[in-house]
Amino acid sequence: MSFWRRLIGWARALGPQKEMESAMDAEMRFHIEARAADLVRRGLGQAEAERQARVEFGGIEKAKEECRDARGVNAIEGLLRDLRFGLRMLVKNPGFAIPAVLILALGIAANTAIFSVVNAVLLRPLPYQDAERLLTVWSFNRTRGFTTNLVSPLDLEDWRAQNHVFEGLAASADVVYTMTGSGEPVPVTAYAFSADYFQLLGVRPIAGRTFLREEEQPGKNHVVVLSYAFWQRHFGGDRELIDKNITLDGAPYTVVGVMPAEFSYPPRTEMWTPLAPEPQAAGDRAYRYLRVLGRLKAGVAISEARAEMNAIAARLAREYPPSNRDDDAINLIPLREMITGNVRPALLVLFCAVGLVMLIASANVANLLLTRAAARQNEVAMRGTLGASRTRLVRQFLTESVLLGLLGGLLGIVLASWSRKALLVMFSAGLPNLSIPQLEKIPIDGWVLAFAVGVSSLTGILFGLAPALESSLDASERLKESSRGVTEGFRWRRFRNVLVVSELAMSIVLLTAAVLTLRSFFELLTGELGFRPQNVLTLRVLPPSSKYGSDAKQIAFAQELLRRLGALPGVQSVGAVTFLPFSGWYGHRTIGLAREATPKNQRPEVVWSSATPDYFEAMGVPLLAGRFFTAADRQGAAAVAILSESLAHLLAGRDDPIGQQIEVAGLAGPVEVVGVVGDVRQLGVTAAMAPEVYLPFAQVPAPILCFAMRTSGPLPSLPKAAQNAIWAVDKDQSVGFVMSMDELVSDSLAPERVVATVLGTFGGLALLMASVGIYGVIQNSAQQRTHEIGIRMALGARTGQILQNIMSQGLKLVLLGAAIGVTAALGLMRFISAVLYGVRPADPAAFLAATVLLGGVALLACWIPARRATQVEPMVALRYE
Amino acid sequence: MDKPVELLQGTLDMLILKAVSLGPLHGYGVLLRIQQISKDRLEIQQGSLYPALYRLEDQGWIQSEWGESENKRKAKYYRLTPDGKRRLECEEERWKQMTEVIAGILRTTPEEL
Repeated sequence: MSFWRRLIGWARALGPQKEMESAMDAEMRFHIEARAADLVRRGLGQAEAERQARVEFGGIEKAKEECRDARGVNAIEGLLRDLRFGLRMLVKNPGFAIPAVLILALGIAANTAIFSVVNAVLLRPLPYQDAERLLTVWSFNRTRGFTTNLVSPLDLEDWRAQNHVFEGLAASADVVYTMTGSGEPVPVTAYAFSADYFQLLGVRPIAGRTFLREEEQPGKNHVVVLSYAFWQRHFGGDRELIDKNITLDGAPYTVVGVMPAEFSYPPRTEMWTPLAPEPQAAGDRAYRYLRVLGRLKAGVAISEARAEMNAIAARLAREYPPSNRDDDAINLIPLREMITGNVRPALLVLFCAVGLVMLIASANVANLLLTRAAARQNEVAMRGTLGASRTRLVRQFLTESVLLGLLGGLLGIVLASWSRKALLVMFSAGLPNLSIPQLEKIPIDGWVLAFAVGVSSLTGILFGLAPALESSLDASERLKESSRGVTEGFRWRRFRNVLVVSELAMSIVLLTAAVLTLRSFFELLTGELGFRPQNVLTLRVLPPSSKYGSDAKQIAFAQELLRRLGALPGVQSVGAVTFLPFSGWYGHRTIGLAREATPKNQRPEVVWSSATPDYFEAMGVPLLAGRFFTAADRQGAAAVAILSESLAHLLAGRDDPIGQQIEVAGLAGPVEVVGVVGDVRQLGVTAAMAPEVYLPFAQVPAPILCFAMRTSGPLPSLPKAAQNAIWAVDKDQSVGFVMSMDELVSDSLAPERVVATVLGTFGGLALLMASVGIYGVIQNSAQQRTHEIGIRMALGARTGQILQNIMSQGLKLVLLGAAIGVTAALGLMRFISAVLYGVRPADPAAFLAATVLLGGVALLACWIPARRATQVEPMVALRYE
Repeated sequence: MDKPVELLQGTLDMLILKAVSLGPLHGYGVLLRIQQISKDRLEIQQGSLYPALYRLEDQGWIQSEWGESENKRKAKYYRLTPDGKRRLECEEERWKQMTEVIAGILRTTPEEL
């Protein structure tokens, strides 16, 4: 059939509806009248003729319906009518519509909120050109298991020259500056980029330019590109700033460009400077300090690239064994995976959990629909008899449930947009974690909306289909049943039971996951940190080498700051350390006993820090053997070190570690172990305790000073006072990371906290919905049995017996649901092990807790209607129709 | 008179096309003509006539217009379109082939196998 005719047909259907209807009417009336006239001619009476004509014609409404269908236009017209009718039915039944829409809204809100995060973090294209071709490229030390080793400039040069798979390889290194010249000195998180870095990412500045090749030369490298946020915050978005100078570490830098707002790579970077080669790196292939980013050539597979790069690394390992023997492989990690590494498993767990929530919500609403369908039997039967086909009825029911779904979806989207703020906590901006993407807002874009609408209508169909099919079945049969027979709805009740049991089972799964993650989070909160974070204020000072170039100057500066900070009122003790636990900064050094002949490259590599004498006390790290550092451990005195407990055990075994001579990479000679302190979770709560070696700051100074000040109680004025004390020594010294240790610990748990809170909420929702579901079933069945209960009571049954009778029905459902749920949970929980710490996925206590909780609440939900049923007067019950 | 036979599935459309090919008819007229030609040996559900008419019109094989009936009443008349004429020929051809094939099968005797 031609397209045009179809179009005209549709237009006709949408246009003068009434005209077509009345034409159809007139035509059929003519038929019947003409037939009646013929019959009269054959000798029938007028009335009898009309009656027979009608009988011969058959169902007029049915014929009309089929005519509408034949036109192919019935769909639209029917849909509109169904929608109008459905809306009217919902408005007329608020007792059904409101709970149903609310349940759906909760489910859809949860789904939309989680999806909006998944969308923002995992699905939305990175704001770089052909971002799927961007890979981070790491040296891979297989001997030591360092999967993401930094890269030396000499290695990078060879990689660039020898590979055929990358369009380009660009390098970066983290740097820190202090910006002065406008009020307080500002610590700046910066990255040094090789000149081709921005081009490799495919990003352009919104003002000015990025770096030129010659700006990688020392002397020409005092140029800077600002992030949009930094430009706005410190310069009010001043366009005149381009080509003007700002002061970094006391030297002038020319602002050459500003990046767009959506660009912040690596996450949280405030400005970029050109990467000028460090002089030490020129002759030392082991001087690894670069992070490398590569853009694959179009059409090159990552496996291909991996094979070629591994071959190059293996060749370099053979060529330069002293520096490269162990770094004989390359690790390629897609950029997105690198950025989202730490939140991906959590998000996937949440996404699956929220799917379960939706299924439970659907089952719940399906249950409500079934209850209502029972009440609508007569309506359905009437329409069936009047000629509505089964398809027509199913469509009507489906339209209603999709309408419900969409109403729930609308409300759900509103709820979801409110809840986004809570989820943002996961992406704490304060943490220098490159594996957590920076996210300032979670957008609700077209994809999120499409997802919400899709989920709404799909669930509408899902929970509507079964009741629709069920209730349209044998529609005419039902009309013949004059009363609510005992047999009536047997199949319905079984179907409702199936729904409730699956709801209970899914709830057990969710509750178990919730209990497990909450327990895991509690473990993390109360877990041994190795230090006491309460009442400790920390701040970070990075003395610029331009001012504090020599060891002596650094040591003197640190000691002066310690003296000033220690003198502040309320401060009990103060110490400084190179790498503060939980700060995300740490360094490695190889270490070994001096008397052992183990080759250097086979010695363990451990976390190190330089610390001042009072650091341990200020941080609350316990002394286990020997002594802390003292003021006497200074330059010129005997070189000493303190080991963490696990390192002492690793090196000395059962021997007494005190007095042992050890060799630490980077130090001129062996040092003597003078103390052993407790292990500290240097790398964060979720990481293992790392063996650590401490060196006295006065012997091994470092240009990073993290101060820890312990006070007797909370001291809100301390942060300001401490900064002023530092500026009194050097007014141009920036002070960063002014945070309490409590805050730092708490921030570092942000992803885990969000997962625990969200899963806990989902568990609660599941519990609520499952209880509502079983309540509805028991209540409904008790109501239908009112008559029977009345007879029993009239015959002398005691209340207790009746109660027991009804409750046993509920108990059966609960037990079945729990059994299925626990079995499923046993199989499923291993998938969430990625977000669990210190708790086994098969933790029996969690399973027990979830089962008892759900069982208890569900039985309570059964008891309420059961009890109500027994309180009915027998006479009322007997008359109940 | 023989007992009326029920219409074979799918043949109603062809009969309607044939009926209106002999001249424009209203719905009731189609019924009468088929009954007249078949000498009342076909039983047609009167109600099912109209969906079939609407379907054929929607396909473009017949077209309708309002006119006056024999007894001066307004009635809707259907006539065959050129498309419908072709369709009818096609259907007739198919029907002939089918009856030949089926008749052939039914005539078959054991000796012929």
